[in-house]
Amino acid sequence: MNRWLPALHFAWKDFLHEWRISACLVLALAAVLTPLLVLFGLKSGIVTTLTERLKADPANLEIVVLGNGRLETPWFQTLSADPLVRFAAPRTRSLAATIDLLADADNGRRVLPAVEMLPTGPGDPLLDNRPVPADAAQAVLSAAAARKLGVGPGGRLTAVVPRSSGERREAASVSLTVLDVLPDSTLVREAVLVPLPLLVAAEDFRDGFAVPDLGWPGERPAPPRTLFASVRLYAAGIDAVAPLAAALTARGLEVRTRAAEIEQVRAIDRVLSFLFAIIAGIGATGLVLSLAASLWANVDRKQKDLALLRLVGFTTAPLVAFPAAQAALTALFGCALSGAAYAAVAAALNRVLAENPTRDEVVCRLTPEAAGAAVLLTLLFALLASSLGGIRASRIEPSQCLRDV
Amino acid sequence: MTDVLRLEGVTRRHGEGTASFRVEVGRLAVAAGECVALTGPSGSGKSTLLDLLGLIGAPESAERFTLTTAGESLDVAGLWARRDRDALADARGSGIGYVLQTGGLLPFLTVRENIALSCRLNRQGSARRVATLARVLGVERLLDRKPRDLSIGERQRVAIARALAHGPSLILADEPTASLDPANAERVMALLLEVTRHMKVAAVVASHDWDLLARHRVRRVTADLSAAQDGAVVARFNG
Repeated sequence: MNRWLPALHFAWKDFLHEWRISACLVLALAAVLTPLLVLFGLKSGIVTTLTERLKADPANLEIVVLGNGRLETPWFQTLSADPLVRFAAPRTRSLAATIDLLADADNGRRVLPAVEMLPTGPGDPLLDNRPVPADAAQAVLSAAAARKLGVGPGGRLTAVVPRSSGERREAASVSLTVLDVLPDSTLVREAVLVPLPLLVAAEDFRDGFAVPDLGWPGERPAPPRTLFASVRLYAAGIDAVAPLAAALTARGLEVRTRAAEIEQVRAIDRVLSFLFAIIAGIGATGLVLSLAASLWANVDRKQKDLALLRLVGFTTAPLVAFPAAQAALTALFGCALSGAAYAAVAAALNRVLAENPTRDEVVCRLTPEAAGAAVLLTLLFALLASSLGGIRASRIEPSQCLRDV
Repeated sequence: MTDVLRLEGVTRRHGEGTASFRVEVGRLAVAAGECVALTGPSGSGKSTLLDLLGLIGAPESAERFTLTTAGESLDVAGLWARRDRDALADARGSGIGYVLQTGGLLPFLTVRENIALSCRLNRQGSARRVATLARVLGVERLLDRKPRDLSIGERQRVAIARALAHGPSLILADEPTASLDPANAERVMALLLEVTRHMKVAAVVASHDWDLLARHRVRRVTADLSAAQDGAVVARFNG
């Protein structure tokens, strides 16, 4: 005979009949679960915010190569194909990678000598969603450089490359259109982002060669390029910075990264995770113990009722399902209650503590996965705890009901 | 008339060593519509015998032990020998009704749901039976209340209705009137006997109050107590 449905129905009826006791159990569960949810929300909110901030600043992904080396063209191809790499562009010698910029303003000519040139191209993290200079006649300026030159997007500049050999001083020039100006938060120093060919042309010209493409004079054009002095390199993510830096160091290059800042966030994550694990462990143990104790006591109180169910024909399995179903009900109501409490607390925390609400940053967050895991674990713990009571229920003899024990 | 219960050479042991207690049933038969009273002082094996008859306590040995329910003869001795607890639970659920000394009602169900409990477990329609029994036992106006709102006498009458609603072949009552005042005890016992006779249900009632049962002309089975060689108390029942 199938007694499962009646067992579950009776469990529900009894849960309602003894609503005061049920409410106490649900409240006790929510009282343990809510602080755990808030704590976990804070931990993941803080760590996510810090990680997002790290990711939002491309400087944290940059691996700066110091000094000049000898890097072959095939190496750059391998590097660009590396999944750890987000953007890699060859660089010329740092001394040769400067250019004088001239702008004609209403109140006369402005000159900015020896501005740092950065090789750019599609995928440059600094040009996130901005126009990318396509040829040697286009450039993007940093805000600092644009202020000094008094130009904005669409403005025109003259770029001048000087060279001197012995007594002779010459200069070559090219006309540049300013595509865009980077904000200070992206790039703080004076710099101009140009395509690689302009850097190569400037270096070749300084080395005494002619640059026919730009009409720059010289005895002969430079031989085809096979070597570059350096690289402008960005890692694909925070976690890729350290292995990339290690690979470059292995090639004899001296590199500098924001490893310290990244490590700090990692350390915060580790410490918070550790603290959370301890507190969650204590909380969960308390939860299991309190649930087990109350469900055990519950079976004790209901011994006569359970014995009566046995007497009228309940087999062991549906009888054990009775306390288990009540445990599941307690767990679900408890989860719902602490979910509501968590939502209120998280909203308040986010309103009070959020530093920068415009950037979509939250202090306290719980992913659907984490929330689902919390519900499943609570249900599992409740069922485990109730199985203690269930074992007791299964041992109840129907004769216990016939006597007034 | 057919025998609902038939026991020959059935024994049941309770406890160990000198503190042990043995019930021996030489022969016991209860026919449909017949009521048998187990009487005697407490400690005379009434409850142990009721456990045996109610398929709750396992026999130590049994030559013959059958329960005839719904025209079908069930070999109880065989079920115990095979330890077929589910079949025993099924037989309890459909073939037997129990009236307890107190309680016997689920506090979270209404009187109506309590009376219909066994019907529901047996997937029987219950509305008409519940209505009839409630009228006969005088608990009609209590149907939508919960047991805690009832007096003890009312609860016992509801318990009788619950024990009979699914149409069992056998009803077992263990001191059903012990917690009632004499007037109520008289009324509840009279109802129990009248309804079981009318419904052709075999009834076994354990009670120390022989005077009450004697007034209703009930067949009496009394324990014959003796001491065995190992010091155990032996209670023999025959009837």
